[in-house]
Amino acid sequence: MLGCVKLSGILMTNTAAATELDAFYPIRPECQADIPKTRFKIKPGKTLSARRWDAAFSKDGHLDIAKVLRRIHRGGIHPSIKGAVWEFLLGCYDPNSTFEERNGIRRQRREQYGIWKDECQKMVPIIGTGRFITTAIVTEDGRPVEEERSRNLQEIDTVGTSSRSSLDANNSALDKKVTEWKLTLHQIGLDVVRTDRALVYYENEANQAKLWDILAVYAWIDGEVGYIFSRVRQCLKYKSNLQGMNDICSPIIILLENEADAFWCFDHAMRRLRENFRCSTGTIGVQSQLSTLSQVIKIVDPKLHQHLEELDGGEYLFAFRMLMVLFRREFSFVDSLYLWEMMWAMEYNPNMFLSYESGSASKGGAGTSGNDKHLKQFGKFERKNVKMGSNDQQLPLPVFLVASVLETKNKRILKEAKGLDDVVNILGDVTGNLDAKKACNEALKLHKKYLSKIKN
Amino acid sequence: MDVSATKRRLLKVIFLGDSGVGKTSLMNRYVYKKFNLQYKATIGADFMTKELRIDDQLVTLQVWDTAGQERFQSLGAAFYRGADCCVFVYDVNVTKSFESLSSWHEEFLKQAEPADPKAFPFLLLGNKIDVDDGHSRAVSEKRARQWCDSRGSMPYFETSAKQDYNVNEAFICIAKAALTNEEEQEPYFESISESVSEVETRGGGGCAC
Repeated sequence: MLGCVKLSGILMTNTAAATELDAFYPIRPECQADIPKTRFKIKPGKTLSARRWDAAFSKDGHLDIAKVLRRIHRGGIHPSIKGAVWEFLLGCYDPNSTFEERNGIRRQRREQYGIWKDECQKMVPIIGTGRFITTAIVTEDGRPVEEERSRNLQEIDTVGTSSRSSLDANNSALDKKVTEWKLTLHQIGLDVVRTDRALVYYENEANQAKLWDILAVYAWIDGEVGYIFSRVRQCLKYKSNLQGMNDICSPIIILLENEADAFWCFDHAMRRLRENFRCSTGTIGVQSQLSTLSQVIKIVDPKLHQHLEELDGGEYLFAFRMLMVLFRREFSFVDSLYLWEMMWAMEYNPNMFLSYESGSASKGGAGTSGNDKHLKQFGKFERKNVKMGSNDQQLPLPVFLVASVLETKNKRILKEAKGLDDVVNILGDVTGNLDAKKACNEALKLHKKYLSKIKN
Repeated sequence: MDVSATKRRLLKVIFLGDSGVGKTSLMNRYVYKKFNLQYKATIGADFMTKELRIDDQLVTLQVWDTAGQERFQSLGAAFYRGADCCVFVYDVNVTKSFESLSSWHEEFLKQAEPADPKAFPFLLLGNKIDVDDGHSRAVSEKRARQWCDSRGSMPYFETSAKQDYNVNEAFICIAKAALTNEEEQEPYFESISESVSEVETRGGGGCAC
């Protein structure tokens, strides 16, 4: 009964909701035809609203995360509060903290970002000016490119000297780091100008520059954030400007107006994605997720896996983009936000904040498994991992999401695909045709199936 | 048996070059006859197809678009295999994109392992010649042609995807080069065609030369 009442409410508000969405993320009129259509709708009674969100906090600011997760599972997050909710979903803040504690953290983080940005600005003065670059400012060996020579030379020297005094032994290593970073800046610029151009938001150069600034600062400090200082980790070589990061960062700066807040939210999103962007000779981190995908399909759908292997697709490279930019290219802008928050809600682990702050890789959860109330603070996906006692970081939800997409195309791939090109083609058809919620639920089912099959 | 399939040949072409030189734009210009400023950076690899007729031979051109960032190169192998032609693209206004060509060339040979590297067809496109009416040009046509000559007289085209300059001409040349290569590979295909019926039908079109 209740369902019927709700349903009629939804039908009536459909058009209004669509216009409401357009107002939040306006599309350039000339681009309407080129972008996938949006399926997400704000559903009263299902979508987490501003009112419900506010009501989920206790007087001093403790958040009833279980209630929030339930709501997000049902209908996503209302655009007006997405940014604030994402900060929690991504583990920027502990739901078990007070308003006051969080304000303190926020203040600290804003200051820290300011310091890093200043550092970058001293090396490359265009940072923070509302403009950005798309052509190289230094040559491979670190010398400034002609045009910039007069403007930048002084700054470069200053920074070089001040760093030298404190880090004499690492002198050349630092110089190398500075050069490497500078070499990434125009690449970031080239990506920025090609990011979500269909959105009115990016018609404004200042907004593009904001995206560039954040990515530039991130590229500078990446490898240091929350962990051991970079020199120890240099061997790992996180490529801090690998294409695709712009796709991850773009929605975040639209949702969080304060640049420093957006930076930290992006940083937290990257903590779960950075492995994908990790580079060593000849391989990219995402390939480990691809091989997990291969394992999963081999178990849940051996026939499909065998067929793909016969087509020289055993490496599952056709799924590269889906994993790398979390389906941003397969969904409309709004739908990818919906998918992400749905995924993050499912993967949610209440210990995330503490594990990030302490720098430990393990989020834990075991030992609490007997406690039902506590379990509800975990997302549906993570809950299963905790219950099974598996804390397997190698089985991320996005892999099962790709698996579920492959499963929806299973028949066509088996019947029609005679080459890798056909597989790419068939998967290309999913663009704009996927339902985020359905895809997530299918992914959960596959996860369950996979876990039970490997158990036996 | 599908009659149309028996006459059509599938030609696989790979586009390589630095990030932002206009690979996606050139393909879109040729395949969909359009240009817009909303292209996103290519992640991974994707392809577009176009049917065309070359000297009475109906062919399907399958053009593979790749990501330009050097870090992605290693992912290409599976997609590069079986290519009939490889097209390099650089931006005439960006010296670095020209200087990278040699490493793109090496990378392709390493990954695609063509049977006869010396005979394998390559092309070079110098794109974005419209920018600033040519005033911001950083690589001269002469320099580009010299590079091509040093690589076994590789055909060279100066293009503008934005203004639709020379794009069609370049693609016709690409298709012809790919077709020639595919025909030269024919003996190899015939040797395995007994067990693979689709391959057998491919050879039915006869030689167009």
